[in-house]
Amino acid sequence: MKRTSLLLGTALCALAAQAQAQQTQAQEACKGAVPTLNVIGQGMPAVTALDAHLSEFNEKWDTEVKITLLGENERRAKARLDASTGAGSYQVLYIDEANLAEYVSADWIYPLADVVPESYDIADFRTDLSNVATVDGTQYFAPFVGGGDVMMVRTDLLEAAGLDVPSTLDELVEAVKVLDAADNGAHGWAARGQRGSGMNVWRWTPFFRAMGGEWLDGDMPAFNSEAGVEATELYTDLMSYGPPGVGTFNWSDAVEAFRGGQVAILIESDVFGPWMEDPSKSTVVGKVGYAPPPDPLPSAGWAHGWAVSKAGAADDCAKTIAGDFVGWATSKEMEQQRLEAGIASDIGRTSTLESEAYQSLVPAEYVEAMLATGPKTDLLIMKSPAWPEIGDTLGLALEEVFTGTRDDIAATLDEAAFFAEDSLMRLK
Amino acid sequence: MKRKTFVTLSLVPAIGILASLALVSVAGAVWFALMNRTLRSSDYEFVGAYNFLRLLRDKRFFNALEISAIWEVVTVTGTLVLAVLLAVLIYETVKKPLWRNLICFAFLVPVLLPRVAAAFIWRFLYSPSLGLINYLCGLVGIGPVEFLADPSLALISVAIVDIWQWGLFFTVILLKLMETLPRDPIEAAMLDNARTWEIHAYVTLPMLKAPIISLALVKAVESLRSFDLIFVMTGGGPGTATETLDLYAYQMGINMGGRISYASAMSILLLIVTTVVFTIIWKAGKKWAA
Amino acid sequence: MGRLISVTLTRALLALLIVVALGPILWTVLGAFKELRDIVTPVPKLLFSPTLENFATILRNPTIRDGLLHSVIVVSASVIIGAALGIPAAYTLARHARNWGDDVQFFVLSLRFMPPVAIAIPFIVIYLDLGIYDTLFGLILVYLITTISTVIWLSVPAFERVPLNIEEAAAMEGCSPFEIFWRFALPVASPSLFGALVFTFVLVWNELLLALTLAAQNATLPVVAASITSLGKEVPWGVINAATVLLVVPPLVFIGLLMGLLNTSVQSGRK
Repeated sequence: MKRTSLLLGTALCALAAQAQAQQTQAQEACKGAVPTLNVIGQGMPAVTALDAHLSEFNEKWDTEVKITLLGENERRAKARLDASTGAGSYQVLYIDEANLAEYVSADWIYPLADVVPESYDIADFRTDLSNVATVDGTQYFAPFVGGGDVMMVRTDLLEAAGLDVPSTLDELVEAVKVLDAADNGAHGWAARGQRGSGMNVWRWTPFFRAMGGEWLDGDMPAFNSEAGVEATELYTDLMSYGPPGVGTFNWSDAVEAFRGGQVAILIESDVFGPWMEDPSKSTVVGKVGYAPPPDPLPSAGWAHGWAVSKAGAADDCAKTIAGDFVGWATSKEMEQQRLEAGIASDIGRTSTLESEAYQSLVPAEYVEAMLATGPKTDLLIMKSPAWPEIGDTLGLALEEVFTGTRDDIAATLDEAAFFAEDSLMRLK
Repeated sequence: MKRKTFVTLSLVPAIGILASLALVSVAGAVWFALMNRTLRSSDYEFVGAYNFLRLLRDKRFFNALEISAIWEVVTVTGTLVLAVLLAVLIYETVKKPLWRNLICFAFLVPVLLPRVAAAFIWRFLYSPSLGLINYLCGLVGIGPVEFLADPSLALISVAIVDIWQWGLFFTVILLKLMETLPRDPIEAAMLDNARTWEIHAYVTLPMLKAPIISLALVKAVESLRSFDLIFVMTGGGPGTATETLDLYAYQMGINMGGRISYASAMSILLLIVTTVVFTIIWKAGKKWAA
Repeated sequence: MGRLISVTLTRALLALLIVVALGPILWTVLGAFKELRDIVTPVPKLLFSPTLENFATILRNPTIRDGLLHSVIVVSASVIIGAALGIPAAYTLARHARNWGDDVQFFVLSLRFMPPVAIAIPFIVIYLDLGIYDTLFGLILVYLITTISTVIWLSVPAFERVPLNIEEAAAMEGCSPFEIFWRFALPVASPSLFGALVFTFVLVWNELLLALTLAAQNATLPVVAASITSLGKEVPWGVINAATVLLVVPPLVFIGLLMGLLNTSVQSGRK
């Protein structure tokens, strides 16, 4: 077996062998005990690439893994309903940065170390992703995709205008204005405008944080502070240099506009970097430079991963098999197999990032930018179970500002904060 | 079989199933509406009318109510007007059954599209920078128009998709209905040298009053659940410009807050409002059709 | 001469309207054969090198097959049961219930006033207790609200328009109420019932929210379609187009059959 040989090579040989023995025991007891293992998934490459390997897992446990793929919104609704109503149809739930706090406070999922066998080396998950998957020192899900931000610039346009890649926020604003005014067929800037905690709020948050903004002052919401107003003013101002309709852009609109050659500078999640280099989908191949977001903008960390549901995997065997599935699906070997298949976008493990197989697949400048961004990356959103609701209200307020429905920024933010107060009170 | 037996046998199973299912859902919703349940925690307590009182102070709820009302009026009238015009036009110009059936067939396609997929396609068509519609607008010197990002246009833009789907479908239904009409009154009118549009306005359409009212009410009921279309195309935005009640209930109940009690209270209020409004319309419609 | 011009003009107008009405569909079909690069362009492309990759992606996806099977079972069962129970009820309401028929008819419609969210939440709880959460039976049951009520609502006017003298003549000859319904009223009303059935079919075929919340493994096509709209972080426009084209075929075939059936029955009725 591949895994055995790998483990034998490590210094922890004895320990690992013991863990292996325990696992074998569990395997004998539970093999065939769970006829189907139901998993909620979202169509990330890391998830869809599993299809080719599932038979291996099915055979090991004499079970059948069924992955239900859903779009992001449906996936969130479905997972929440399944856990909260106690329906428990799914043993493995798909979790992301925005709802982890809620799942943990409601006690819907097991800590990762309780269910995933040690042999899968939990410590090897990328630190930036593990941080997102952790609440109060306990990691809850096994991340397989995630990251921070990257700034993408059209080097050809920048050169034509005689500009350097901006390294501060002021330089960025200046460059956007110059590039937008230049007769180059492209708009200076694009950003998400559509409402949603993971949409416009997600991109607005680094600006808010860069202005020194804090979400909470004690127990009270504080995003209607001076920092919030300034951030919103700057964000709205930058949008006037964007393509038409930018006030309701989602990430797809923003990225497609850049990939279609209509935008000069874009700050987006770093997973979108490799998209620019795909000649079957991009018209800007080879014309894109990558850099960390200019100072003092921090980078917004996020991660998606799998966790084991308490309602779905209540008995020991379901728990064991579900835990083994999470470990197996996010293992080092699985990531290497994905790289062999040419999929470089979803990386959850440090060892994979360091591997030659990975570095040969993506542009060196992109890896450099990613590594330089790493220290700036953090979970920037409010770590609260009420976040989905608060974030949505804030997103609504921001969208109203971006599309010109409201122009009194301070009053609009005050209103959103007023609503957030109510959401926070309900937690108690 | 006696008449009474027939009446009982035909009505009881259908109405029985309906009534019990309805009782379950309404009673369930009322029960939830009186609690403060959320999806997040399993504790809850009885809060009486709190949810309803809070709704009366909720600006977003009243905004949603207003948007729903506009949405209802626009989509129902739009659908019916489009259907009547197209049905008459086809009835008059296309006489060969084969062609007529082909057109009917093609007009059924939009309504059969999965709504989510249709919404995505239109979202792309509307896109200011990449969409076909704005390209065509650009050719004649308009635009780019921000169909979905402009708060004053967004609701109409989404409504057009709804009218596109249902209007063409209703055209087919109306056409089939017109084909079943007796020919005598029409021929009599033709003998009187009435113009084509007069025949339809004064003879054929009045004969179809009752089914048109039924269709209108059914469409009005369907318009109440426009959630999937709006959710994909605008998510309720810009701001709350396209946030209808069922969208707000979904956002509150399942999507973000998980406040299922609050969403249930909202639904109960909606149920009451629609029942009252529709009863009035229905009575008036019956009188008019009689 | 003037008549010829006006006929030509109306024909041209009609043709234009049809093109506009079907434009988005044609554009979708075209998009289904495009690579993403050819879709995401500011200037729409009519000429491109076609690819079948989008269709292959869809057909390789096993959830589509399952979804189709589930949809066919759920939709046909709920529509057939809805018709079998609803049509006789509608006839009775139209013919044998002069005083209270209207109120029942309206009650039936009022069942659909509640937003699906509000229906879904209590049903989840009850289904869990009964053990029919995430079963096709559960979905069929909740869809019966839609099918029975819509069938009744739309069939009552159809029966009301059946000329009374046919039925009176049959009653004179000693036919029982059931025979009158089955042998006289139903055949005459069937063209109008066609619309009612197609309408009902469309409603359940496209239902998303209840299917999403009351079923997990037994997802129907709308849920599958919703899942296709995002593959990872990417919105796969080509794949969405291809999926749309493929998903619209089964209901079209069904309606085609229904229409054919209707045409033959109408013709044989006229002989």
